[in-house]
Amino acid sequence: MAEEILRLEKINKHFAGVTALEDVDLTINKGEIVCLLGENGSGKSTMIKIISGVYTFDSGTAIINGKEFKHITPLSSIHEGIEVIYQDFSLFSHLTVAENIAISEIVLEGDKRMDWKKVERIAKDKLKRLGIDIPLYDQVGKFSAADRQLIAIAKVLLENTKLIIMDEPTTALSRKEIEALCKTINDLKNQGISILFVSHKLNEVRDLAERVVIFRNGKKVYDEKVTAKDFNFDEVGFLMTGKRIDTSKIEYGVPDLTATPKMEVDNLNLKGKLDNVSFKLYQNEVLGITGLLGGGQSDLALALFGATPADSGTIKIEGKKVKIKDIHTGVEAGIGYVPADRIRVGLFMQHPIKDNIVPVIVNSLVSKLGFLMPRRIKQVAQKWVKELAVKTPNVDLPAQSLSGGNQQRLVLAKWMAADPTVLIMDGPTVGVDIGSKAEIHELMRHLGKEGRGVILVSDDIPELLQVCNRVLVMRDGKIIDEHQTKEITEEVLYNQLVASC
Amino acid sequence: MKKSIFKTYEFFLFLLLVVIILAIGLINPTFFSIGTIFDVIRIQTIFILMAFGLLPVVILGGVDISFVAIAALATFPVHTLLLKLNYEGGIWLYYLAGIIIGVLAGLLIGWLISTFKLGIFDLSLGMNTMLYGFVLFFIGSVTNFDMPTGMVDWHSRYLISVQSVVGQSFLHISFLWVIGAGILLHIFLRYTTLGRAIFAMGSDKSVAIRTGFNIKKVYLTVFPVMGAMAAIAGVTDAGLQTNFRPYLFLGKNMAVLAAVIMGGASIRGGKGSVLGTFLGVLLVGIINQALVYLRIPTAWMDAFVGVTFIAFAVYQTLETRTSK
Repeated sequence: MAEEILRLEKINKHFAGVTALEDVDLTINKGEIVCLLGENGSGKSTMIKIISGVYTFDSGTAIINGKEFKHITPLSSIHEGIEVIYQDFSLFSHLTVAENIAISEIVLEGDKRMDWKKVERIAKDKLKRLGIDIPLYDQVGKFSAADRQLIAIAKVLLENTKLIIMDEPTTALSRKEIEALCKTINDLKNQGISILFVSHKLNEVRDLAERVVIFRNGKKVYDEKVTAKDFNFDEVGFLMTGKRIDTSKIEYGVPDLTATPKMEVDNLNLKGKLDNVSFKLYQNEVLGITGLLGGGQSDLALALFGATPADSGTIKIEGKKVKIKDIHTGVEAGIGYVPADRIRVGLFMQHPIKDNIVPVIVNSLVSKLGFLMPRRIKQVAQKWVKELAVKTPNVDLPAQSLSGGNQQRLVLAKWMAADPTVLIMDGPTVGVDIGSKAEIHELMRHLGKEGRGVILVSDDIPELLQVCNRVLVMRDGKIIDEHQTKEITEEVLYNQLVASC
Repeated sequence: MKKSIFKTYEFFLFLLLVVIILAIGLINPTFFSIGTIFDVIRIQTIFILMAFGLLPVVILGGVDISFVAIAALATFPVHTLLLKLNYEGGIWLYYLAGIIIGVLAGLLIGWLISTFKLGIFDLSLGMNTMLYGFVLFFIGSVTNFDMPTGMVDWHSRYLISVQSVVGQSFLHISFLWVIGAGILLHIFLRYTTLGRAIFAMGSDKSVAIRTGFNIKKVYLTVFPVMGAMAAIAGVTDAGLQTNFRPYLFLGKNMAVLAAVIMGGASIRGGKGSVLGTFLGVLLVGIINQALVYLRIPTAWMDAFVGVTFIAFAVYQTLETRTSK
């Protein structure tokens, strides 16, 4: 019998009448990697917060390191060696690596004096335990997301750390960086530290997990030991959503290769980013563009949209040559762009849903005297909310009241309202749960079939294969390969991407 | 490896100072004198003291403009009261009373901010008007030149006197306050956990809370420090000028803020140093002094400081942008 770090029995938690967790059991053994899966609202965040003491549970038993706790407080959780790494990494970007890593320990020990020798010692020790080498006296803000992730892990490696909870740790990482993270996690496991890995991404869960726990609607629906070999995506997807998503019956649109292409790009160059990029986007086609982080696919999208325009090359839209030199001319030319980071750059989160739909077309919604017409705005907004099935009772509610998947639809609605000829989507399903993801995929295929040119920039291979007719692979700003999705498998594309780095 | 000293912002400021001094010295050689340096320090002492007080607030990510009003509150009413009591002693009682008032005002600000979650700048707007209004309305609006006998010759207590071509030059003892306050503040910011908490909060407040820092304690330290430093600056000014003014330092807050920013503190918080602030104020002082030597009308001074400030702000933004 393995040593138990954590044993939760029949945990219940209600918020104002809503059941967040119902009779949930969860045990974590020493040195075990447990993956917790679930859609948004399934209760996994609530679970993390109960374990870390941010929320108190209504009923049930919590045993940590053999001791029973009636209430878990944040402090008692830390004292029992439980640490959480949140999605934002909880780092101070202005401070040095050393200070960031050591500060929790200094504060926890209640030191009044800041002993910089101790800071250096703690930081060195922790980085050594992780087997990584990062310059101690550089500011954290200067590091990449992957390095900051490692710094965040080092930060929570206290003397007595027994369990590290990672909340969606890979959201900002590229595939190669994720592999490095997996290695680090395995090292930690070998040092006897347990990991609770919370994620949406099934790929990495498959590679990491020894045990998979799935929550749905506040209940635990699955808790089994698994290996990478017998990990079944469809089955896990079903357990998470309660719905069968049948990937074999996807109906792709049929591109029209003879008609004038929707978009034709010739020898696009951007210093240090793009190198002679040429491609065609046919009528009724969904075109995927993929590559590793920094391969140039996002730069291409931004160049086509006009955010960072290309230095040279030509772009034709429906046979007509257009000059895209900034976002304004990009929009004029008929290009819509859905960014990956919808929260930061896609939406005005505090503003009503309706005001988030009309920005691109706002000039067409003014009266003859030049005043905005609130009623028209609302009508237009309601139409698109309905069209794209954004789940909201009222378009007057703020955008932040929507779930991740619905926010993404809202960004789509904004661009659909502008009626773009070509819609470019950069990582449209990052951080979106699996159920909404399938719906967004369906929507993209539908748009393509409808005759709108769709370009999908993504590093999610199953997604590319499910949505696109054709996939371009980029590396170092060049298009290095092209595949018809019908002719390739996930494995081939995956290997090509990994091999190229 | 630790950052090389030559790559620091402070070193850049130092070089800039040297270059400016050399450039002006070439045009007008009389600028090269220990007397000029003493002059600049004498004029800038009060600004350095206030800038030291403001620095922790800026590191915290806030902008306060009310410290000048605290300086007025900590000097004029005290003077009015002590005159009534026929006080004839030295300046020390003024310092003591002033610091107490400054600390109390700072505690009030810190309490209001931590309890009602007010914005630092928003509150300071109100504080500034309220405190000046209080001093002018309740205490009086006329500059008072009566000094207690014990304080009359304080303005000529010198630390060093140097004979030079232009005559006798003196370094006033109040420069000791600058040195002392600078060292204490540096130790506080760099070598105490509470000092680091200020940087942490300025960098990311919610992470600072999660890390376990006592946010309230930070507010209740930073603002009293600011109040005390403003009071010391106020009393020092009264001693040097041998008068007490109800509208003391009115409108000087922007110059102090500009100097702090030029000294390398980020207006968005998380960054700043005592040495940088010191050099930042000296830079403004030297530029002002230089304009005199170059016979440029004084009205241009403010404009010039403004332009320099904008240039520095642009430089800082560009720097953070390239580092990301």
